This record gives sequence, C-alpha cells and structure tokens, in this order.
Amino acid sequence: MIKNLLLLIPLLPFVAFSIQIFIGRKLPRGGDWVSVFAIFSSFVLALIVFFQVIGKNDPQIWMSWAFTWLPLSELSGELSGVRIGVMADNMTAIMLLMVTLCATLIHLFSTWYMHGEVRYSRFFAYLSLFTGSMLGLVVSDNLLTLFIFWELMGFCSYSLIGFYFERESAVRANIKAFMTTRIGDTCLFVGIMILWMEFKSLRFEDIYHAISAGGALQGEILGVNKAFLAGFLVLMGTVGKSAQFPLQVWLPDAMEGPTPVSALIHAATMVAAGVYLILRMTPLLQLGDVLIVVAYIGAFTAFFASLLAVIQNDIKGVLAYSTISQLGYMVLGVGVGAYAAAFMHLITHALFKACLFMSSGSVIHGVHTQDMREMGGLRKKMPITCASMTIATCAIAGFPFFSGFVSKDKILAQTLYVGGIEHSQHILLPIFGFTAAAITAFYMFRLIFLTFFGEPRDHHKYEHTHKEHVRELNRWIPLAVLAGLSLSVFFSGSITGALHSDQIFGAYNDWFENLIQSPVHHLSAVEDEHGHHLAHNLALTISLVVAFGGALLSALFYFWKKIDPNRIKESLNQIYVILQNKYYFDWFYIEIIIKRAFIPVAAFFGYVDMELYDRYVIDGWAKVAKLGYGTARLVDDEVIDYLLVDGAGRSAFTLGLGVRVLQNGKVQGYLMIGVLLTLCSAFYIFLI
Amino acid sequence: MQIGISHYLVISSVLFTLGVLTVLNRRNIIVILMGIELMLNSAGLNFAAFSRFVVGNSEGQAFSIFIILVAAAEAAVALAIVLRTFQNLKTVEIDKIQSLKN
Repeated sequence: MIKNLLLLIPLLPFVAFSIQIFIGRKLPRGGDWVSVFAIFSSFVLALIVFFQVIGKNDPQIWMSWAFTWLPLSELSGELSGVRIGVMADNMTAIMLLMVTLCATLIHLFSTWYMHGEVRYSRFFAYLSLFTGSMLGLVVSDNLLTLFIFWELMGFCSYSLIGFYFERESAVRANIKAFMTTRIGDTCLFVGIMILWMEFKSLRFEDIYHAISAGGALQGEILGVNKAFLAGFLVLMGTVGKSAQFPLQVWLPDAMEGPTPVSALIHAATMVAAGVYLILRMTPLLQLGDVLIVVAYIGAFTAFFASLLAVIQNDIKGVLAYSTISQLGYMVLGVGVGAYAAAFMHLITHALFKACLFMSSGSVIHGVHTQDMREMGGLRKKMPITCASMTIATCAIAGFPFFSGFVSKDKILAQTLYVGGIEHSQHILLPIFGFTAAAITAFYMFRLIFLTFFGEPRDHHKYEHTHKEHVRELNRWIPLAVLAGLSLSVFFSGSITGALHSDQIFGAYNDWFENLIQSPVHHLSAVEDEHGHHLAHNLALTISLVVAFGGALLSALFYFWKKIDPNRIKESLNQIYVILQNKYYFDWFYIEIIIKRAFIPVAAFFGYVDMELYDRYVIDGWAKVAKLGYGTARLVDDEVIDYLLVDGAGRSAFTLGLGVRVLQNGKVQGYLMIGVLLTLCSAFYIFLI
Repeated sequence: MQIGISHYLVISSVLFTLGVLTVLNRRNIIVILMGIELMLNSAGLNFAAFSRFVVGNSEGQAFSIFIILVAAAEAAVALAIVLRTFQNLKTVEIDKIQSLKN
C-alpha cells in the first residue's frame, strides 16, 4: 500500500505535466487547475505517508521495494543486475511532505503571479515536471534513478530559468545554470560508477549494509584513496546542485526566471536535492573522511555568500545569496555530523525561503521593480506580505520562537563542539558559522527595512502600487501558511525553540531528532555529554547575541538611520568593489578558466579534430571507400551487368537470329536440314 | 557375272538418292510425292534384297508388300491433300504454300 503511494506521489505531477504540455493551452484557465490538483493530491498522499511515520517512530528504512530493471550478464557466475525501486524511511516521508506542501503552495501562488503571462500553461507544465522529478528523487532507493531525476531537475531548471527566453540575460542565466551544475553532475556520475564497481548495487540499503560490514572501498584509484574519491565526487554533485563554493555562481543568476520558479528552486526542489544527496550518502562521506572537507566548504560558503547578500540592491538577489549561505549551513551541519539538524534546517529553510521568495514575488508584482532602492514604506500597501515576510525573516535570522532558530542553533552547537572543543584546530568552522549568522540577520533586516519601512523613495512607483486585497486568496494564503510554519513549535515541540527547556508537551519532545538518524550509526558515537552541553549553552548564547546584534545593527543603519551606509561603503571601498564583483568568481571563470584554458584547449582539440582527424582519417577513409566504390561499380557494371546479365540475354538473342534463318517456312529447307543431320549422324556412326 | 546383294543395294541407294534429290529440289508437290515414292520403293527393294541374300526367309519380302500397301494409302491421302490445297490456294508450288508462316 505504501509502495503504491510512493509510486503515485511522483507520478501525479508527471501526469499533470503530460496533460499540460500537450493540451494545456486548450483547457479552460490554461489548465492550471490540472497541475494544482495533481500536486495537491500528491500532498494528501504524502500526508498519509507522513502519519505512518509518526506512528512507527523508527528511524530505519521501513519500506523498500525494488525490481531488477536491467539484468546484466552472469559472467561472474552469479545473477546480477541493476535493481531500482522505491523506499521510505522517516527522511523520505518528511521530505515528501515538505516538497509537496511547498510545491502546492507555489503552484497556487503561481496562478496569481503568472496570471495573464505568456506561455501560462507551459509554465505549469514545467513546474509540475520539476516537482515530480524532485518527488521521484526523494522516493528513489538507489543512486541511478536518483541521478536520472537529478538530471531531469537540471533540465527543468534550465527551461524555467530561461522561461522568458526573449530576454538575452535569461538565456545566459539558464545556460550558466545548466553548464555549472553539469560540472557537479559529471563528478557525481563518476562517483556513482565507482560505487557501482565496488558494491555491484546502487541501492542505498545495499551500500549501507556493505559500509557497516566494513572493508568496503579499500585501495586506491590514481593514487587517491578510493573511499575518499567516491565521497568527494558525490560531494561535488552536491556542490554543483546546491550552489556551494566554488560552483555557486549559477544560483544568483537563476533569479532570471519567474519568482515562483525561484521559490521552487531555492526551497523545495533543486538545491534541496543536493543536500538530500549528501545526507543520504553520509556513511560514504564518513568512510572516506570527506566530512571535514564538507564542513569547510559549507562554513566558507555560508560566510562568503552572506557577505555578498549585504551589498545586493535587488530584492531577489539578497534572497539568492541568502539561499547559498543557508545551504552552506546545511552542508556544514552534515560535515560536523549534525545529521538531524542539517536535515531539519533543510526543511525549515525550505518553508521560510519559499515564503520569502513568494513574498518578494508579491512585492515585485505590486511595485513592478526588483530594486529595493525604489521601494520603501510598502507595509501600508501590502500588510499581509509584510507580515509574512517579517516572520520568515525572523526565522532565517534565527530568532527564538521561529523555526530557523531551532535548526540553525543545533548546527552551530555541533559546529562549536567539533571545531571549538573537540578539535581546536578547526576553530575556523564555528567562527565562519557565527559570523555568517550575524551577517544573515543584518542583511535580512536590511531587506525588510528597505522594502516595507521608512518613506517611499520612488513616489511614482508607490502611487501605482495596488493595495493588497483580501480577495486575492491565491496570493496571501500560501504566504500565510508558510509564515505559520516558520514558527518553532512545529519542529521542536517547544515554543521558543530552545531545547532541553521550556517543554510544552510535558516532556522533551524533539520529534524531529527522534525520527531522523544517520543510516549507519557511526556519527557522534562518542558522547561527550558535558562537552555537548557546554557547546549547546554557549552556542545558544552566541546565536542569540549575533542574531539580535545583526538585526540591531541593521536597524541602526536602515530604520533609525543613525549611521549612513554610504559612508561605510566609501570607507570600505575596496572590499565593496570586490563584493560588487562577486569576488571576481565570474570574471575568474570566464576570463581565466574559460578564455585562457578551455578555449585554447578547445581550439587545439578542434584543430586536431578538424585538420588532422577529419582531413586525414575521415576523409582518407572516404577516399578509400570511394576507390573501392569505383572498382566495385566497374565490376558491377562491366562484368556482372554487361557480361553476365546482359550477356545471357544477348547470347539468346544472337542464337535466335541465327536459328531464325533456318525457320524460313520452306518445307524443303527443313527437309534439307533433316537430310544433312541424318548424313552427319550416319557419318558419325560409320566412321567411329 | 553373278548378281549379288551389292547390285541390289547400289540400285536401291541410287533410287533413294534420286528420291531425296527430287524431294529437295523440285517445287511441284506432285513431283515431290513421286520422290517420296521412289524412296519408299528403294526401302522395299532393300528389304527384298536382305531377305533373299542375308536372312534367307521371306519375312522381309512381306515387309515390301506392306510398304507398297502403305505407300498406296499414303499417296491417296497425300493427293487428296494436294487436291484440296490446289482448290484453296490455286497452286501446287511448294514455295508458295506459306500461309503458316508469319
């Protein structure tokens, strides 16, 4: 029964996609209700699955079904083949619920946001395909189908980022997103091949079993430890998909797509897939000692992307960099072994980031600009958007009572424990983490203050902004639902979100942590109760200080206007220029890597290909073939056709001509022949 | 000079040759029929000669009688055909009778 549900959940959006792409335009309302209905049905099914999980309370894989999709040869004597199927554990169930919920609300919001746009039904078709791919990825029990859906999402993001393909910038952005993630995807695929060679199976269950049995992935490939290599390549897949350093360049450009797409990419689907992958593959990362690399990539990304968000004037730009930064937190969480916390942050971030993006969509649609410098004072015009966006901002900044506080605090506590107490050489990890938290609070409140508070800076735009209307249900219901889910109580069971205290359901009720555990129990095996406790309390204090400090600083800058940001900007001009140029990553990739390295290499290979290979080998073969063809044609024409085929006819014809003379109708002629023949035979008989 | 088989055979072959040449050269059907009679007679003569000189009984001579008989019947049929041909085609020239050609 669960198996059918798991198959049906991704299938429904795919069916919606098929309907939309073929006959969507002919349906009433562009067929948006098909997609909304399909994804809502998936949501209901996901709810059923989710409540089964709550009932079971067992962190292990509790449903798994697979069949041999590709039987391979029995060379080694045993029957082997690629087995694929679906599985469910608690992580799957929670992911399914989150993805379907976000996607349902985003679909709903899109019916308002995209109303009257060009290619309306195609937009919903792609949106459904995107969601369906993500759901397929989540229910996959093996790396192969996971990779297939992973690539499908790459395609969907390509088509949706370039949805307004009339704009050149959109086309550039979608190519950039596709090609950048492609680097990661290729690495991931190589990693998957290494795992296949080692385990002869790509199912997570088999991989977990093989890893816990020990002795897996011994040896080296090209002088690198095999386990490290496999883990690192899988990590590179995540780096590409989840926009981590150094492949983060595509995500900010991805906001060229319509805002609901950004919400979908940044929250529920695309980038979540990357983190989901390393969460699934944690045992492998641990086996290969990749976790520390993971932690550093995450911490560094969280820090440097948050700095970039500070200088953005584009409302979606701020959110895009904040996504990179928050994804950095998740990756950091996986790296330091805060498995459940990283996953929790994935979920909470998805919910409040979807809320933030759709709120920004609501703002953009109202004001018709994305530049925050032209906004201001919008809280009077759109109170619901303002309220929901502020709530989500509190969540991302890590204020108590909000969801982001719970998950981020857990990650930071574990980071502090690992980096500050256990291995003091990794002290950089908590420093990056906490600094990023402070900067996050700063830039998010900067966004709020610039957009909704103060006086309108562009009066013309302000006057033309329509007042938000309660009748626009599909505009504010998604925002309200997601803002509601940004409260901590849903995730920790306590009101403020602080753990070990303030229980409202009687006892310590951290259901999330109870449900989610690493598939192979190595993580945090050594329990330093005191150290954990210390780290936790310390982290709690520091998080609160940095969150409120960042917000306060932001208020000083942009709300009370005690400090002029332009003065700071001028005094830090050099840093500002660096940030303005996004640390010169784009410049580096395009000018150095692509122009100095790729293009000459490509030109060289192009030369080899065109001039040497093509001219001599290919054309040479053509010449040989032409010669052979000429000979064959000669033989065919002259010998076969002329001599044999025509010759047979011609000989019959010539013989006929000769014999025809005898057949002249004169009886005496015939008799003459008879006599002659008789004489001949007589001679023959008598002479011999 | 003793008359032997060779004399008979010589006369027979002369007769046969004359008959063949008549059949091959003459154009009148009547004359060709005469040539055929000549050949039949030479065959009959041969039968009689071999019967008398080689075999020694009269079976061969009986064959001569049969040949004369068959030749008479054949001549009757053939002359009837020639008569009908002449009535239809107004000619007894064998070269002109070519209506089966073409």
